[in-house]
Amino acid sequence: MKPPPPTSRLVLVSCVLTLAAVGLMVWSLLDPRPVPVVAAMSIGQGLGTASLGAFLYAVGADLRSRYVRARAERESARPRPP
Amino acid sequence: MTVQSSPLAVVALACAALSAAIIVGYLILRPPLGPSSRIWLLFGLGVFPIGVAFAGNIQGFEATKERQFCGSCHVMIPHASDSNSITSVSLSSRHARNKLFGNENCYSCHADYGMFGTIVTKLGGMRHVWLYYTEYRNVPIEEAKTTIHLLKPYPNDNCMQCHSTEGKLWLEVPDHKASLGDVRQGRVSCASAGCHGYAHPNFRPPGEAPAEPAVHPAPTDSSKTDAGSAP
Ligand code: HEC
Ligand code: HEC
Repeated sequence: MKPPPPTSRLVLVSCVLTLAAVGLMVWSLLDPRPVPVVAAMSIGQGLGTASLGAFLYAVGADLRSRYVRARAERESARPRPP
Repeated sequence: MTVQSSPLAVVALACAALSAAIIVGYLILRPPLGPSSRIWLLFGLGVFPIGVAFAGNIQGFEATKERQFCGSCHVMIPHASDSNSITSVSLSSRHARNKLFGNENCYSCHADYGMFGTIVTKLGGMRHVWLYYTEYRNVPIEEAKTTIHLLKPYPNDNCMQCHSTEGKLWLEVPDHKASLGDVRQGRVSCASAGCHGYAHPNFRPPGEAPAEPAVHPAPTDSSKTDAGSAP
């Protein structure tokens, strides 16, 4: 078994952005004044969308690199033609 | 609407808590990306936050309709506190007392109706927030009373969303009968000095002397049709 790939830094970024976005939205719910509400609906949603995008991208990149690695291993295991 | 009374807000807060719990758990344990951590993260970073945004948006739109929200910028305090006052006889305050929309009276009278009405009104509201922070933030209340005006004359159409002008009793009122066309076409304002008075106590049309505080400009002639404005 090879070691698991390191936790993608992108996933960590996504986690932090999501926490910030959700935090903004919770603030606007508990304290519905103009600034929190406008901030939640603009910055909050922007951050949330960006962080989901980052996560999906990280998963995609991770799956791809596993696939590439697996194929490389298969290729190298196959006997070379003379 | 307070958080306690709104199921949507509770849904949004629950989604937020679940999302935060998953993320914090992930950050502490830091498991490698595998099938199960991917699914957990999909919920923590995708499904639940989208739930927060969805329920939170609807809740946010509702919150922006409340008079309390309008009154949270200090330049609107005179209007808002007039509506809050149970003794005020202004037209705006008299629309602040019923249970159905009394709490949302500013929005009920000032929202644009029709297609895209809500969106147009909300965009207009964003403009107000922007203007507030760029220009009106430090304007004293006394000055705001006389310098903040509507962009366009108030349209009777907004009153007519609720007062259809079709009711038999309404049509029997002599002044309504006499001015029916003008009222429906918006040539005579329902909220004008000779009719139902201005909606807000300190309002005067441009050019007239500034209002004395808290006096409702009740119509003075005897053909007064506005039963509720007495005394
Ligand atoms: C009965 C309907 C009605 C309600 C309720 C109402 N308004 Fe008005 N509003 C009007 C009308 C009509 C005008 C035009 C000026 C007038 O008649 O006072 C107006 C004018 C205004 C103006 C411009 C005032 C000026 O001096 O030019 C502001 C600001 C305003 N309203 C804010 C509010 C706020 C804030 C609330 C809630 C507290 C509110 N309105 C509730 C009908 C209403
Ligand atoms: C959101 C619906 C709505 C809108 C918009 C609205 N009204 Fe009303 N209006 C009502 C209701 C409901 C009542 C009955 C008030 C009550 O008893 O709570 C009422 C009452 C009145 C009364 C009688 C008040 C009294 O104290 O007897 C007048 C006059 C009036 N409206 C004029 C207007 C004018 C002028 C406008 C536009 C500037 C307007 N309304 C906009 C719903 C509305």
